[in-house]
Amino acid sequence: MTAKGWFHKVEGSEGQSLVWLHGWGMEHASLLRLASLFRNTHKNTLYDQPGFGHTPRLQDGAGTEDYADALARELEQLGGAPHILIGHSFGGRVSVQMAARHPHLVKAIVLIGGAGLQRRRSLAFKIRARCLRLMGRMAQLSDKLVGTKFRDAYVQRFGSSDYKNAGALRPTFVRVVNEDLSKVAKSVRCPTLLVYGSDDTEAPPEIGRRYESLIPIARFVEVRGFDHWDILGRGAYQCEALIRTFMDDLKDE
Amino acid sequence: MKEQAVISQVKGAPVTQKKVIAVIFGGRSVEHDVSVLTGLQFLEALDPGKYEGIPVYVDPLGQWWTGAPLTRRSRYPLEATPKDLTQVMLDLATPASGRPQLVAFSKGLMGEKRTTIPFDLMVPAIHGSNGEDGTLQGMLEFAGIPFAGCRTLGAAATMNKVFAKKVAAQAGIKVLPELLLRRPKKGEFLDPDALKKQLHDAFGETPFPFIVKPCNLGSSVGVGKANDMDGLVAALMTAFRMDGEVIVEPFVANLVEYNIAVRRTASGDTVTSAIERPLRDAELLDFKNKYLAGGTPGGPKLDTGPSEGMASLNRVLNPDELTDAQEKFIRGSAGGIFDALGLAGSVRVDFLCNGDSGELWLNEVNTIPGSFAYFLWEAASEPLSFLKLSSEMVEEGFRLSGDRLGDTGTATGGATIFTRS
Repeated sequence: MTAKGWFHKVEGSEGQSLVWLHGWGMEHASLLRLASLFRNTHKNTLYDQPGFGHTPRLQDGAGTEDYADALARELEQLGGAPHILIGHSFGGRVSVQMAARHPHLVKAIVLIGGAGLQRRRSLAFKIRARCLRLMGRMAQLSDKLVGTKFRDAYVQRFGSSDYKNAGALRPTFVRVVNEDLSKVAKSVRCPTLLVYGSDDTEAPPEIGRRYESLIPIARFVEVRGFDHWDILGRGAYQCEALIRTFMDDLKDE
Repeated sequence: MKEQAVISQVKGAPVTQKKVIAVIFGGRSVEHDVSVLTGLQFLEALDPGKYEGIPVYVDPLGQWWTGAPLTRRSRYPLEATPKDLTQVMLDLATPASGRPQLVAFSKGLMGEKRTTIPFDLMVPAIHGSNGEDGTLQGMLEFAGIPFAGCRTLGAAATMNKVFAKKVAAQAGIKVLPELLLRRPKKGEFLDPDALKKQLHDAFGETPFPFIVKPCNLGSSVGVGKANDMDGLVAALMTAFRMDGEVIVEPFVANLVEYNIAVRRTASGDTVTSAIERPLRDAELLDFKNKYLAGGTPGGPKLDTGPSEGMASLNRVLNPDELTDAQEKFIRGSAGGIFDALGLAGSVRVDFLCNGDSGELWLNEVNTIPGSFAYFLWEAASEPLSFLKLSSEMVEEGFRLSGDRLGDTGTATGGATIFTRS
């Protein structure tokens, strides 16, 4: 850990540098179990991303590109480039941005349940979402004009738990969940491993498959029987095996 | 990077290209629940590049089940007739394909429908009776089904504590003296006077306390301490509920326990793992603090990962209080009993130690230890991850099963009676 800059934990000291980026609402500890499996073979740096754990947040409404740029500054200081970035969920978004914006720092990226592409939704879902959004706007308008307190009630009733808990990060959260990294993914040039649990409902395997078709050098693997969270716990060895094979193939190049 | 080739391999490869590994767990054993954790952990540690794992769950009634939902801890215990699972049995007769298979029967339009689930190797992950004791292994050997871990003889010999101690003593490994008692017949009671005489014959003037253990169980279930004659009778009654044979041993004062795992490498060397000293709150390691220690209010967290079961038992790895001589004794004895009994797989050998005098005794051998003792291998001087350990156990299983069968043609033994064309 450092006095200034991003809080981080280091596991292992030898070998290729692996940089671990956790998901939204989590902190570095969520990746500790998996990262510790690489303790004897790699130098692992597990960051608390800005606004989570012990790292202060970035400017209001910062987007994933801002997270990537700030991380690039961290990594310039860390040394050991090019790094292999391993991102879970939201950490996957930052990894994709890093690979696209700062390719000299990135050797390869691994997305575990990586987010960043808009979900394919049913028409019914889309209509419902539109209606809810309209309702939210009207509540806000009413609050402003006649001093009602509808907006809070609306958020309590319909807001996602991540939205409700986002606090000062709420502008960032809104930006992040509405972004679509399709264009950014197309400009990724480094090899990419995409690992998705078959039972993942947060970032379903379908997102991974679309990433695979967008990123030029990509390998998609669906791991049966795991969801968005337990893939990091009881799925740790499955992830370890897939990441190791991927890294061995990088060496063959 | 040969990306195209790799992608098509991952996407298009038929599942059958990988070896199918059936992990069998649960079972009719007091250690049923712990076995579920061990089995699931092994499945999760199977290298997805080489193997396809399938769960085979033996419920407490002895019925066998398979199906993906079994991989979730939250699925247990099962209800009476699970709809999302398939009830299966093992085909003991070698099928024409030569490949082992599970068989399922279901009701079809034209009467009973039979489906088969082929696999290549079975991994016994059942602790204690009907799994770790050689019965399952014997059945698999009989059926010619490759399996991981100890063969029949090693599994059976280590399950019986008295027999294992005899072999250890013969191999020059120090063990505690013991008295073997059999469960009284129905309607008969333990006779305290006869018991006193037996104790005297076995231990001389050794005073209380004694320790009482079921002879044929793997874990610390049914283990009790007796400070006096009443306590002894009570402890015996508890132990006899678990097992027809019970052993009484002198209680080791200032008891400290040490465990170590042993395996044989692919090149044939017997190697040992890190040594652990389990941490205990109570004086005696009973089931509660062995498996439920650290249980948070609201019960254990499910589906969180490999850090549970034996793996979550609080322990000190590579404790620094051990002298070089003690460590040498532990490593030497563990390797010695492993070789003497021709064991295989990841075997855990447990030792008792008098913390004051430093004296050590071999206590017992677990051929299917909780979590396959992977945490001891991960902390070994040459660390071995569970991912590699599982692969080694599987490959060793294939090797040992291949070695065993040999040539069984009648002509080989000159025992031909019927003329063959």
